[in-house]
Amino acid sequence: MPIPFANEPILELRRAAVRAGLQEALDRVDAQLPVEVPVWIGDDARTGAELLSTDPGAPDRLVAAAPTTGPADVEAAVAEAQRGLRTWRAVGAADRAQALIAAAAWMRERRLELTALEVRECAKPWAEADADVCEAIDFLEYYARGAIELGHGRELLQVPGERNELSYHPRGVVAVISPWNFPLAIPCGMASAALAAGNAVVLKPAEQSPGMAQRLVAALRAGGVPPAAISLLPGEGDVGAALVAHPGVHAIAFTGSLAVGRQIVAAAAQVPDGQRHFKQVVAELGGKNCVIVAADADLDEAVPAIVGSAFNYAGQKCSAASRILVHEAIAAQLTERVAGAARTLVVGQAQTLGTDVPPVIERDAQERVARYAAIARSEGRIVAQAPAPGEAGWFCPAIVVADLPPGSAVLEQEIFGPVLAIQAVRDVEQACDVVDELAYALTGGLFTRDPAIVRRVRERTPVGNLYVNRGITGAMVARQPFGGNRLSGTGLKAGGPDYLLQFVEQRAVSENTMRHGLEV
Amino acid sequence: MTASASDAPGPPAAPVAPDAQVEAEVRRIGEQLAAAFPAASRQPLRALDARAMEMASSDRELRAALFRFVDVVPACRSLDDLARHLVGYLEEVPDASPPISAAMRISGTRAGRAALGAAAAGGVRHLAHRFIIGETPAAALGTLRKLWDGGVASSVDLLGEATVTEAEADRYAQRCLDAVEQLAAATRSWPERPMLEADGAGPLPRANVCVKVSALTPLLRPDAPARGQQDAARRLRPLLRAAQAAGSHLHIDMESLDSREAVLELVLDLLDEDEFREGPSAGLVLQAYLRDSPGQLDQIVAWARATARRPPLTVRLVKGAYWDHELVQARQHGWDVPVFQDKHECDRNFEALTRRLLAARPSLRVAIASHNLRSVAHAIACNRVAGGEDRDLELQVLRGLGDELQHALATLGYRVRTYCPVGDLVAGMAYLVRRLLENTSNDSFLSAQASGVPIEELLAAP
Repeated sequence: MPIPFANEPILELRRAAVRAGLQEALDRVDAQLPVEVPVWIGDDARTGAELLSTDPGAPDRLVAAAPTTGPADVEAAVAEAQRGLRTWRAVGAADRAQALIAAAAWMRERRLELTALEVRECAKPWAEADADVCEAIDFLEYYARGAIELGHGRELLQVPGERNELSYHPRGVVAVISPWNFPLAIPCGMASAALAAGNAVVLKPAEQSPGMAQRLVAALRAGGVPPAAISLLPGEGDVGAALVAHPGVHAIAFTGSLAVGRQIVAAAAQVPDGQRHFKQVVAELGGKNCVIVAADADLDEAVPAIVGSAFNYAGQKCSAASRILVHEAIAAQLTERVAGAARTLVVGQAQTLGTDVPPVIERDAQERVARYAAIARSEGRIVAQAPAPGEAGWFCPAIVVADLPPGSAVLEQEIFGPVLAIQAVRDVEQACDVVDELAYALTGGLFTRDPAIVRRVRERTPVGNLYVNRGITGAMVARQPFGGNRLSGTGLKAGGPDYLLQFVEQRAVSENTMRHGLEV
Repeated sequence: MTASASDAPGPPAAPVAPDAQVEAEVRRIGEQLAAAFPAASRQPLRALDARAMEMASSDRELRAALFRFVDVVPACRSLDDLARHLVGYLEEVPDASPPISAAMRISGTRAGRAALGAAAAGGVRHLAHRFIIGETPAAALGTLRKLWDGGVASSVDLLGEATVTEAEADRYAQRCLDAVEQLAAATRSWPERPMLEADGAGPLPRANVCVKVSALTPLLRPDAPARGQQDAARRLRPLLRAAQAAGSHLHIDMESLDSREAVLELVLDLLDEDEFREGPSAGLVLQAYLRDSPGQLDQIVAWARATARRPPLTVRLVKGAYWDHELVQARQHGWDVPVFQDKHECDRNFEALTRRLLAARPSLRVAIASHNLRSVAHAIACNRVAGGEDRDLELQVLRGLGDELQHALATLGYRVRTYCPVGDLVAGMAYLVRRLLENTSNDSFLSAQASGVPIEELLAAP
């Protein structure tokens, strides 16, 4: 049994010596760009340069190059996964765990390079990119231990004359469809959970981050996962759709937008003739996350936590804060302080330490954020703006908006960008009503120093992750199992004790132990 | 990890004294100091506070509840609100004592809550007055003058909310500027106190103001110290100019490890700028609870020996006030704990740093800020054994916590400076809680004495 789980320590970037290593790592990674990402099916690797990822902060910089995945590749990948499944499921839980732990070690040895590549490919600032790499390592280590535990099955009631067993078995082939915003941790979490439980995986990463996905698959294979059990299909939405529809796929693990999540749930519900199973869908979708600020909140703590939760990584996290619901008695004060703090934000390049708001992922995202900013301007009052630099890159100004009318798209839709709306409420009850009206229920925040208010909001909130007196992003594996309710997701919480259960089927065996009047 | 005087770079300023001689001197000075403490009977109110604090410090949960209450008082909107918060915290204390149960019973009615709220608010105000000497520097002048007349120098610390915006940083800088000028002007007419006004390196300003870099900029980031440093520099420069023009001392406080690099580099860089070559008198802080503090001292000493500026930089040696924060943060992130977790190890480091600082004179001025009788006696003893004069060592205490030690030190003719928080009680609350945390977990002479620890033990080498 491996040693008890502990989170991978994040870099202590407050120390100059630690920071000094970052630029070197970036230089090493830059010297090797672009990353060659193959359509990687079993031992067969086909390279190409039809699908390209570029640096969001410098769109001329090519980060990764991949071929396009075609329908034949999807067929081949599923068939290979079915072969891989036969081998991998036969491997004992302890050995599967060992492979995942070895993959974690592979990542640990290359931490700074992985982080630097993420800075380049996804414009994630150093501290956040580092946290993503650490989270990927955490998922591997955590699910490895979970696999061993699952291998023991569950205790059942035993009576004389029979032996009862409940055991867990892999579902089969799992399609993992992952986003770019946590380009290592999220695909790693979904894939390693499926693998831990003995499934074979076909990974279709976001088209914006194929380079990071290549590193993940390399890590898993280096750790000892058989190539047939982990294939990589770089590509766009059509590849994901083909995988979801494929009758040879047993489960789909998806993290992404609500719109795509809806399509996946609908498509996976189809059971064509010849398909002998229902497909399980594990979906982590969007959020419209509110932070409630009660009248007795400590604003010295609330303001930095709110600003960080809203604007770090340009708000491109499903957990990011997008609305503040503040008690009217302190609304003016909070608004002034949040606005003042937001004005100090530096919108800049991800690789520059001290950048608060990096560019968003791509041109489409920049345009989407601009549309919401225009709505915010016309329907509400912009109370603060941190300007975008005038350089190439998909930069968006950071915006704080107040006085939006009820029903404004800025208040209800997931923007996935650096836009924060502030709204005064009569009291905490009204704030809870507002939260309760939303279709999303992912994360939520509460600032108060009154234990009674904490109890009340805990009771009332539908959100999957409530954070009290702290920022609302940065869930840690094993500490803040992560996932939403309502339209924010279907699944059990990632990084929590039940997550693996979604990737297994159960079998109960009851054996008669009486033979001719003799119990054996 | 601890360093000794012999590790100090450059030629030693004085021969290292034999330990036995120092220990004998520590014992002698420590006993003199203890004898000079004011009798508890002469300070009935203080004795009451001391008992209340002792009670709170012996019960972890109760202490936490009371700190949470002190922290929230400024945000409460009515007596009812105060009472509800207090009861909310007390409810979480297991095995509540009879007085607490009584408080919870009366909170059942509106009138009861009003009474409880008023009593609790009064208690907090009483406590706050003990630490905070005035709402503004002008309002604090009376107390500062009384201290001076009693042979005690002071350093004024302006309390306020955290700085998260540029406007808040500007306001804090303006308050500091006003304080520097007002204190300098007001102290000019004070009577002469030779022990407080000069040491071997020259004159010492009467007006002395502390500033916090985290309040001078909203841009301090642990992973990007340069950003906050540059922003703070543009507010610190006018303060240094004002201090120079007014003849005041400006002391830059040290906070948590997250900002240490920014603060240290900021101070050393600014003081090296041409316009500050001839002053003002300035200082910074060395935190002995940090395991890597000996390395920090290396950096400071190297700077002091290389710089041409005068007067010498004052280094205030403290144990450090963010111990819990540093420990919890490091454990949450899986980092090596940056602070000593063993009290004796920390005390040994404090003494090693004391010796090295004393040996670094005259490149540096030394201020030893501690309420630990042994640490203070040790500093005095080391200075004497090394042949130093008493006036070449400053001792510092905190207002409200080190009052008795201050009295003893002043009575015996040492130069003592009291760190005096100034600001409104509301803004001062967070500060208060932090100091209380330190106090109730520390080794104050009074509480040790009250619990019957013999003086030999208190003065034993760590």
